[in-house]
Amino acid sequence: MTLLTSLTVAVLFGSGAFLVLKHDLIRVVVGMVLISNAANLFIMSAGLTTGREPIHPLPATETIADPLVQAMTLTAIVIGFGVAALLLSLVYRVYTSHLTVDLTTLGEAEERAEAALELEAQRDMDVEEAGLLFARPERERE
Amino acid sequence: MLVAPLGIAWFAAVALVLLDGRRARVGWFAVAALGATLAATVVLAVQVLQDGTVRSVAGGWPAGVGITLRADALGVVFAVVSTGVLLAALVYEVIGGVQSPTFPALVLFMATGLTGVFLTGDAFNFYVFFEIAMISAYVLTGYGQETRQIRAATIFTVVNLLGSVLFLIGIASLYHVTGRLDMLGIALRSDDVGTQPIILIAVIIFVAFGVKLGLFPFHFWLPAVYTSTRPSVAAILSGALANIGSYGLLRFGADVLPRELEQGAPALLLLGTVSIVYGALQALSRNAASEVLAYSTVGQVGYILIALGVGGQIGYASAVLFAVVNALNKTLLFLSVELRGRLVWLAFVIGAFSVAGVPPAVGFFGKAALFRAGIAERSVILVALIFVGGALSFVYMFQTEQRRFWAGDADDPSPLARRGLVLLLAGLVVALGIWPEPLLALSEQAAAVLPERRP
Repeated sequence: MTLLTSLTVAVLFGSGAFLVLKHDLIRVVVGMVLISNAANLFIMSAGLTTGREPIHPLPATETIADPLVQAMTLTAIVIGFGVAALLLSLVYRVYTSHLTVDLTTLGEAEERAEAALELEAQRDMDVEEAGLLFARPERERE
Repeated sequence: MLVAPLGIAWFAAVALVLLDGRRARVGWFAVAALGATLAATVVLAVQVLQDGTVRSVAGGWPAGVGITLRADALGVVFAVVSTGVLLAALVYEVIGGVQSPTFPALVLFMATGLTGVFLTGDAFNFYVFFEIAMISAYVLTGYGQETRQIRAATIFTVVNLLGSVLFLIGIASLYHVTGRLDMLGIALRSDDVGTQPIILIAVIIFVAFGVKLGLFPFHFWLPAVYTSTRPSVAAILSGALANIGSYGLLRFGADVLPRELEQGAPALLLLGTVSIVYGALQALSRNAASEVLAYSTVGQVGYILIALGVGGQIGYASAVLFAVVNALNKTLLFLSVELRGRLVWLAFVIGAFSVAGVPPAVGFFGKAALFRAGIAERSVILVALIFVGGALSFVYMFQTEQRRFWAGDADDPSPLARRGLVLLLAGLVVALGIWPEPLLALSEQAAAVLPERRP
């Protein structure tokens, strides 16, 4: 059982990591969902005892499953769900502004933006150099 | 008293969700609520510093069953600083006119999350508050709604979500090997468990906080995010949110898993060194002011790591002091970077002095504490490294200052109120530099909470 659980967690996490490295943002989101579910399963398997469901009244003779990890997993599921929704809405916003969810195309847009930023900084520097030598007196003359 | 800061921020945030944050009145209501949170945190801090740690168990459960809230000197110091930084960033935005209806609510939610993180004594509860703060940060990064901000938010969310999942796995593993979730219990039980499983868990938790802090091998997301977001959000991310990383390393490293921290000290020193050198060199080679500041952040967190690696009361105290100073510096610099005018130049120069560690700015005491830690470690390399790092930061800060302000301001100066706010922050940096005793005493008291392991 332990082997089976750990294998499932490993496969889930591995597939998630594989998808996160893809060039398509939708796949990245699916990968993140898989990874957070791998974590949920991991928490469940971190329980200290296994056995019957921990519902009151507790059985006298049998052992019960660790209720704490179940509460933790429930919280983690809710958080993971919220974050997945947020990620999807972000991807939708990226799609509406770029009309693509492909990371290669987005990367090109990023590079263009960075080049513009550098150009701006360079222009500021040129203005500064020119400003120190010529521009100041002229401005004063005006 | 313990729940007051949490409660005020939480209820105000929920109320603000229903209101349109773009209206000036709503904005000032948010400022008032955050101010009240800060006041409640300061009252709590005074109480804690005078009478010692305050504890309470949520829901009236017996201790060990319910979730423990715990305010000690280390937690309240970080809580006060983070709430203060959030307040400055919120006021900055409200003065200029908030652009998104949700901005004030998100800042308040982040205040709830951060205060909760610093005041909880339960590892899983730490994760929950940590996620509240992180989710508001994900949304805040997209503030401004421009294309590049949305892109930055996507990168930020994916990378930090991975960090959060790693942290969650670390907490679950800690529970499995120790059988406890309260930090005190984990710390007690982990001594009985062999090093073998715990050192692995410690590495996972370290990586999770390293991603938040933007340490050298995990920094790749940081420049893209800090340069694309608006200045107020960048100030929030580097001044308030990054505190989770430094606090988390101090709390989980020095308090919960001190033995593992000691074993990992060489790795921390190495990564810290690489972070400092890499951050400084990258910052030197950049032109845009926001990019220089982003790489400077990568370098500055290296110092915190080094202080942790040195360990002992001296190391921890300098880590706390440096984290606080760094939060103040980065808030001041990020807020002033896009403003124009002569007074802004003054504020920026003070921030630059503080980053470089030149008196009378408070940054001097941060660097001095690190020197002391380096000397206590009897390491020539460490002292030389801190000196070289300081010199490099001096060069890149003033390179930026020249590029940014020597060209003469062609545009009209920014709104007076914003410039006033930045000057106020600069005044605080200088005032703490001239009268540093309270800050030094505070950081020493915060470090005294952590167990002494090394001489």
